[in-house]
Amino acid sequence: MTTVSVTKPSALTWVRRNLFRTPLDAILTIVFGSLAVYVGIRGLLFVFVNGRWEIISVNLKLLMVGRWPADELIAIAVALVILGLWAGLIAGIIAGRQVRKGTSAIEGMTRLERASDLGRRFGLVIATLLLLLSLTDTSGPWLMVLFTFVGGVVGRLIGGQIGVRSLPSWVSRLGIVVMVVIPVWAYLYMASAVPLADWEGFLFNLSSAAAGVVLSFPLGLLLALGRRSKLKLLKGMSIAYIEAVRGAPLYVLLLLANVSLEFFVPAALAPSKVVRAIVTFTLFTAAYIAEIVRGGLQSVPLGQEEAAKALGLSPTKQMRLIVLPQALRNVIPAQIGQFISLFKDTTLAGLALGILDLLNAAGAITQQSDFRGQGLIIETLVFVGFLFWVGSFTMSRESQRLERKLGVGTR
Amino acid sequence: MKLRKLLVVLTALTLVLAACTSDDGDTTTTAAAADAADAGGEEMTSLLDEVIARGELKCGTRDALTGFAVLTEEGDHVGFDSDFCRVIAAAVLGDAEAVDHVDLETADRFTALQSGQVDVLSRNTTWTASRDGSEGATFLTVTYYDGQGMMVTADSGYAGIADMDGVIVCVAKGTTTEGNAAAEADRLGLDWEVRPFDDNDLIQEAFGAGQCDGWSADSSALTGIRADQPDGPDSVVILPDVFSKEPLAPLVLDGDTAWAQAVNWAILATITAEEWGITSANVDTFLDSDDSNIRKFLGASFEDSDGNETTLDAGLGLPTDFAYQVIKQVGNYGEIFDRHLAPLGLERGVNALWTDGGLLYSPPYR
Repeated sequence: MTTVSVTKPSALTWVRRNLFRTPLDAILTIVFGSLAVYVGIRGLLFVFVNGRWEIISVNLKLLMVGRWPADELIAIAVALVILGLWAGLIAGIIAGRQVRKGTSAIEGMTRLERASDLGRRFGLVIATLLLLLSLTDTSGPWLMVLFTFVGGVVGRLIGGQIGVRSLPSWVSRLGIVVMVVIPVWAYLYMASAVPLADWEGFLFNLSSAAAGVVLSFPLGLLLALGRRSKLKLLKGMSIAYIEAVRGAPLYVLLLLANVSLEFFVPAALAPSKVVRAIVTFTLFTAAYIAEIVRGGLQSVPLGQEEAAKALGLSPTKQMRLIVLPQALRNVIPAQIGQFISLFKDTTLAGLALGILDLLNAAGAITQQSDFRGQGLIIETLVFVGFLFWVGSFTMSRESQRLERKLGVGTR
Repeated sequence: MKLRKLLVVLTALTLVLAACTSDDGDTTTTAAAADAADAGGEEMTSLLDEVIARGELKCGTRDALTGFAVLTEEGDHVGFDSDFCRVIAAAVLGDAEAVDHVDLETADRFTALQSGQVDVLSRNTTWTASRDGSEGATFLTVTYYDGQGMMVTADSGYAGIADMDGVIVCVAKGTTTEGNAAAEADRLGLDWEVRPFDDNDLIQEAFGAGQCDGWSADSSALTGIRADQPDGPDSVVILPDVFSKEPLAPLVLDGDTAWAQAVNWAILATITAEEWGITSANVDTFLDSDDSNIRKFLGASFEDSDGNETTLDAGLGLPTDFAYQVIKQVGNYGEIFDRHLAPLGLERGVNALWTDGGLLYSPPYR
């Protein structure tokens, strides 16, 4: 065996080759390099020295959950702990199944490697949580996050044990139903404590984005299949829906949802603004998901379907077992992209429907008598942007991980 | 085979849908009938009865206007406009806190009123003819007489807006301010570039950076802004010119006189109380006042012409002690003003009582 030894170029060589190859390169490097350093220093100074973050810490509850009654906060805590347990269970079961199948990526890792893998995946979220917690002066949020974390760890351990065992099919089916019901239950439990209409702050952005994602995916899938259907009526209706909804800006749809409904339905019966926002998000995103899924369906070679037919599978099974899994795998990046954009678009609902979401709250608090007239809108907007970036970036990283796992683009 | 399955599913779906819609249908018909009765004016069910039955007032307001309505850390609405929401709730329901403050954007405030999302708007709204006429709104007693002014830096040397030619005037977007500034420039034959911004804080940044020669807004707002200047209030000057009339008034929907009267008298009560010097602190001492007009006003008993003890029910559909509740729980006009607007450095000016040379005047309560 011969090894080809490649000497790594020294740092200086690298700099000369990449940054100062020609005089023009040198000028560009100096100009934009100093610009970048200047912007970087100004940014760091703003965040750590000049930024007046008191407005955030004083108003943290308003920004996070709006006017959620203080004595009902326990409902959020309970729901979060249950969701932590739930997420841990799912992660554990998936990991356990991979161990059983021998496809586990983490089984061969040392503890340290596993910890650093987890740190890379969730370090940002954990750091953000710690940052937010450091701004509070009560113990409630600390306990809530601690118990959620404990719930996640416990769920992961139990899930790992369940995952490696082979269970009778009725048990695993029941398990799937339970896993689907738990988040729905958590949602309804919180809604029973405080009506959906009063969900505000970042809680509104997160929960309505989650509801929109969960509801729009099946609808989008049906629309995509409808558009490929051989039934003329179904196909026509799907096309009409997709094109009509995709043709209107989301903001316009939200404004319509805000102002037009009460002229058709009496005000007392009209659903709350939060429900309207979720319905609009769902209908809007479904049209995009439909087109993304259709793209995925087209990317599956016709031979796959023909082979499935040759095996004697029914049309439903052809779709469910052969075509859809490949189609959906191929469009993971686009789907996650759509969901990230939905997450950020929830701020439009705040504006169009007058919901006190994170962005609106960030604007409103700058007018408080302690803070007005000091240009604090910059601090609050940076804070809002940071929270949305953490959410979007984590989603994007997780989707890349899923892609690698499923081998998108490599097989 | 497949087709039959599909048909069965479709039929089932249709049945379910039909059941749902017929349910909805019933309720909407009754509600529509109620609406029709409203519109007809005969056997009208007033919003007044509805609010009393509901036990809560839905008051259209906002969450970020210094002095008028601001959201506190605890999520409460605090301000001049918010207090008038409380005045109405105290009068109609006897509880100043029975208010659902509905935050509305400037653009959809009238729609919210028309669609019944809110019972009343107390949202810094200028009373204009076209709003009165075309938005289906009835404006009530003016709570604040405002006017648009101009603020410049102290070293700019402008003595009045007539000096300002070829300048950039920064304003907040989406209000009458923008149009007023352009109209005033036209009228005076001046060349102004009116530059709209989304937010006062953004104007502050631009103004501080010297991107605006003038900052135009309602005088009340400018006074607050001036007090908050980073270089101190003396670094800027509010020019003496006031070039628009901005009477800010609460409003209700057209065609519901009973409700409009109830809201109106709740507001007038704050003015009447100030005329008599009744405040939230001393209102109890007035209950046995020698002046029978004051006793009538507060719902205390008085002797009628036949010598019987009685209380005055003016027939407004309000409890006889509504004025007492308003003053006890919220305060008179002067107290509300002093609580929210005086700290900004606003003078009473034209918003003083008529006896002090201002414009506030309440019809007599008797």
